[in-house]
Amino acid sequence: MDVIWQGLKEGFLLIVAMDPELVHITLLSIQVSVSALLLAAIMGIPLGTVLALKEFPGRKTLLNITYTFMGLPPVLAGLLVFLFLSTSGPFGYFQLMFTPTAMIIAQVLLGFPIVCGLTARAVMAQPQEVFDTAATLGATRRQASWAIIRESRMGIIAALTTALGRLIAEVGAVMMVGGNIKGETRVLTTSIVLETRMGNDSSALAIGMVLLLIAFLIMLLILSLEKRTFTDERRIQIV
Amino acid sequence: MNAEFKLFNISKSYGQREVLNIDNLEIGGGRIYCILGPNGAGKTTLFRIMSLLTLNDTGKMHILGEEVTWQKSQVVRLRRQMAMVTQTSFMFEGSVYYNVAYGLRVRKTAAAEEKRIVNESLELLGMMDFINQQARNLSGGERQKVAIARALAVKPRVLFLDEPTSNIDPASALDIEHYIQYINKEMGTTIIMVTHNLFQARRLSEEIFFMWEGRIIEKGETQKLFDNAQDKRTRSFIKGEIVF
Repeated sequence: MDVIWQGLKEGFLLIVAMDPELVHITLLSIQVSVSALLLAAIMGIPLGTVLALKEFPGRKTLLNITYTFMGLPPVLAGLLVFLFLSTSGPFGYFQLMFTPTAMIIAQVLLGFPIVCGLTARAVMAQPQEVFDTAATLGATRRQASWAIIRESRMGIIAALTTALGRLIAEVGAVMMVGGNIKGETRVLTTSIVLETRMGNDSSALAIGMVLLLIAFLIMLLILSLEKRTFTDERRIQIV
Repeated sequence: MNAEFKLFNISKSYGQREVLNIDNLEIGGGRIYCILGPNGAGKTTLFRIMSLLTLNDTGKMHILGEEVTWQKSQVVRLRRQMAMVTQTSFMFEGSVYYNVAYGLRVRKTAAAEEKRIVNESLELLGMMDFINQQARNLSGGERQKVAIARALAVKPRVLFLDEPTSNIDPASALDIEHYIQYINKEMGTTIIMVTHNLFQARRLSEEIFFMWEGRIIEKGETQKLFDNAQDKRTRSFIKGEIVF
């Protein structure tokens, strides 16, 4: 219990003192995870929608692959990126290994299937009536598809929060392709691993607290978007 | 008047099961038409094909003067002359205003014009007080009125009504029947409705198409058909002997 109390105290002091190293690590964590989330969303939301709405050969296989990759182990994602970006790999020429870019690529690999798969589920959960209503009111196929996406937005936001939760807390991939280099690729999760290995349990806990706080603030931001679009928040009433 | 809908040899099957087989159907314009029949008669499938929501397997259709080729641009052009109100009256997430304005927005109507038409449509249905409310929070009857206002906002030549009063209380149902008659008589909109409700069909429609196992087995002026149906299945249905 002492370690936990010590960790909480240290964490509080670290936040209050705005330790420059911690600030740098925190900003890099946010930069990497939010960039990866944005890229995953830019690719995953349209592709998830297409998988849900378009009938084409191989659609079900693609969906199953997407669902499988939702459980991609971070270390495996890191390894794949490592193999492609290392000097002997096909993209070694770009010298991206041990840079934040490599970490973003690895996290996109983890976040994209989540955003794509959950978007597809959210869109598929919509009733036929959404299309029918839009179409009978004169919508083109594109406009009707947009109406379906609009109706699915609560599910899409859930996809984004789920992906962010995975990315911000992920350590295996960023450790493998980032290398946890102080001042360059060290992020909050890799710092926690380092502090734990060095036996500084309370420091590790303190950084963990900061990580949770950051995750909470980003989620709050995403959820505030949801609230803005969902003035009619309906819940199942259980009496 | 030329027929708004001409269907020849239209069929539709789901797997091995044929649900629709129409040899010849012509529906004129300007009146209230009713498609009547028991459950599973193919009424909804016919409705969906006529409103261009479901592809027919065989046959030819002429809708509003055009032979249907199912080209994307043609489908949208024809659909924009029709509107539909279903028994569930699906509402988009958003306000009553958003829902009624939807058809105008997809037509890129100017904002001022949009506001004017939405207000006019809601006013007609007596729903102005609800304009800023969340559409999904309304009662069944209120939603149905919003759905009718939404359909009217796009000034359709043909209005399809699929069991428009089946899920609502009798008072609201009567209210809606009154609006249906008003829309037909005062606005000249052709109305094609599907209903189970014999009394409603008799009260509202001028012409009836009676369906049985995917086919139209009898058609005619409402009063004549009720008084003197030729087919024994139609007679049984009218007498209430077939209650499903």
